[in-house]
Amino acid sequence: MTGIKKWLSIFVCVFLLASLMACGGGSRGGSSSSPAASSSSPDQPSAGSPASGTGEKKKLTLWFIDTGKRKELIEETVQEFMKAHPDIEVDAVQIPNDTYKTKLPVAMGGNNPPDLFHSWGGGWLKEFVKAGQVMELTDKIDPNNYLPAAINIATYDGKIYGAPLAMSLTLFFYNKEMFAKNNLEPPKTFNDLLRIVDVFKAQGIAPIAMANKTKWPGALWLIYLANRIGGSDIFTEAFERKGRGFDDPAYVRAGELIQQLVDRGAFINGFNGLDYDTGQSRQFLYTEKAVMELQTSSYITNVRSEMPGFEEKLGIFPFPVVEGGLGNATDLVGGVSPVFSISSKTKYPDEAVELLKALTSRELAQKFADQAGVVTAVKGVEYKDKFAKMMNEYLSQAQFLQPFYDQTLPPEMAELHKDTTQALFGKTITPEEAARQMEEAAKRILDK
Amino acid sequence: MTGDASRIRRRNSLNKGLFLCFFIGPALLVYTVYNIYPIFATFFYSLFDWTGIENAKTYVGLENYARLIRDHIFLRSLGNNILLVFASVLTQIPLGLALALLLQSKIRGMRFFRTVYFLPFLMSTVAIAILWMFIYNPTFGVLNQVLGDIGLSSLQRSWLGEKSTAMGAVIATICWQFTPFYMILLRAGLTGIPEELLEAARIDGCTPWKSFTRITLPLLVPTLVTACVLSTIGSLKYFDLIYVMTEGGPDSATELMATYMYKQAFRHFGMGFASAISTCMFILSFIVAVAILSLDRYRARGGV
Repeated sequence: MTGIKKWLSIFVCVFLLASLMACGGGSRGGSSSSPAASSSSPDQPSAGSPASGTGEKKKLTLWFIDTGKRKELIEETVQEFMKAHPDIEVDAVQIPNDTYKTKLPVAMGGNNPPDLFHSWGGGWLKEFVKAGQVMELTDKIDPNNYLPAAINIATYDGKIYGAPLAMSLTLFFYNKEMFAKNNLEPPKTFNDLLRIVDVFKAQGIAPIAMANKTKWPGALWLIYLANRIGGSDIFTEAFERKGRGFDDPAYVRAGELIQQLVDRGAFINGFNGLDYDTGQSRQFLYTEKAVMELQTSSYITNVRSEMPGFEEKLGIFPFPVVEGGLGNATDLVGGVSPVFSISSKTKYPDEAVELLKALTSRELAQKFADQAGVVTAVKGVEYKDKFAKMMNEYLSQAQFLQPFYDQTLPPEMAELHKDTTQALFGKTITPEEAARQMEEAAKRILDK
Repeated sequence: MTGDASRIRRRNSLNKGLFLCFFIGPALLVYTVYNIYPIFATFFYSLFDWTGIENAKTYVGLENYARLIRDHIFLRSLGNNILLVFASVLTQIPLGLALALLLQSKIRGMRFFRTVYFLPFLMSTVAIAILWMFIYNPTFGVLNQVLGDIGLSSLQRSWLGEKSTAMGAVIATICWQFTPFYMILLRAGLTGIPEELLEAARIDGCTPWKSFTRITLPLLVPTLVTACVLSTIGSLKYFDLIYVMTEGGPDSATELMATYMYKQAFRHFGMGFASAISTCMFILSFIVAVAILSLDRYRARGGV
């Protein structure tokens, strides 16, 4: 008996200790800035400490997030750069998108940042610029090498903090074959879109695929609708606090149109719980259970790697206009990725600028266009890829490029924008309430 | 003579002390640096308005905590955590006990079942999350398929996409994941109960139910207390599965304190506020653990 009791008590003790440690572990997450940063440094040699062992070589660290073909091309460029500069060693680390968003702030907060790093420009990069973590590039690179819309996204108060490489545009991706079978043309107006929705709905096919767990796919709808209803300046006015606000009737109307689409059953079932990254919306297009999807240009890369046979059925069309709206049919919603920036803590600023130039060179941009089907942010690229050609045409017609809100707004508002839009799609909030919450946050955060 | 003896005794105890330090020291050091220190550091950071990416912090006193109490998303996540605690304790432990008892009975192929039942616990959380996302998929998922096949298509839902069902769907997955752990824990407790006691009861004509309620269950109480503490604390600081399956959505329906803390720290750049959330989590877990343990001590002193 006593033996058993002893065993049980030891058992209990061990588990209590374990649970206490678990408590500690739980609360560590929030404060992980310094300890986590130092514990994450062993897996990539830090920028601060010169390469030990190789001694005389100058060591640069590059963090980027591109995958697939784009990753290969960036790595290739880095190899060539090292061959051309034998005294420099570059450690290029590819980090998955979501991990990266956590890892970079931790590295910055721990004063242990990479020399060159990826961003999307906009409000996210601005946080680091404000914190004095980013090197100014105004005199170091030639802004004329890049498309103005692209370089502007990393320019704050006339100072340049990043160089762009590729663009991503938001367009409809659709099944041309299914449209042709029903004698349908890509919609020119929102009412056309509603008619198309009804045609497919009547056949028991979901008209529009969307996977909105991560919230940004749904946000694309709101951004486009607000643009088409309120005109090109609606967001700029609200963001810069000049003129209309986030509670403008245009935003309310955009929310109403979203809910109108939801009520018509335009979207696939349960879209708010589906995951875009694991292809839960794309599989609807691949299996012809849905006909179109509003997405960014990386859709093409995904189709090519997941379902190459689908490419011949794949078509693209721009977002339709809304009847009575102020927006132009040619305005595009898009973003720039990657934008490369240099840490203000780098030990070798000149070498880092050289690498930055190589990473945003016309040569690499041309390869991106040819091999990854991407529209680039660099001037003078010739497009051969079918989709890249079409997108470049849309881009050259566009007088205005509306950046993604979540990459322009300060982080807290960006999250609110995505949260309220997801709630709009889920019909758990009214368009008025969503607009009111956004404007309230804008007053609190942007006006100060 | 006596002087000699006490000197030897003193030397022995000194040796023993050194000996203990030698063994405990390194572990204690690691524990202090990686567990104790961060707890206090977290509390320290929670007193500042700090983005986490710059060196400058602004001291704001308890402002972060005041904000916490007004923040309705935090309150909802706290509610979700409490729901998860009750759901976990009330389903995982009874189910685990039932399975543990089942595994004690002498059925052919017991080893096979034991392995199968334990499998969910061996899988990585992310794998489980993705697996169940496919099961819950409204169009292609097994669950809706089965519901449709047995004529219950009115019950088909987009389980993770609707506010009303998302939390339940996630809790079901968490229970599926952790029940095997309590099964093994309680089975270990059961093997500790001496066979003679049960045999004696059987000879005296005790029914299986009586021998369970009068012998097995009371002897199992210490293990059950452990299970309760683990389950409660685990639920209060739960993070990974929810983060992968729903990211706290839709519309914060499945937000937990830990997922909210993560978002505040790394999406909103609010390290100070996030530290306040995690300090709250720590205090809550601590209070609950102490409460359960002192209840148990009270029970033990009661001489049951």
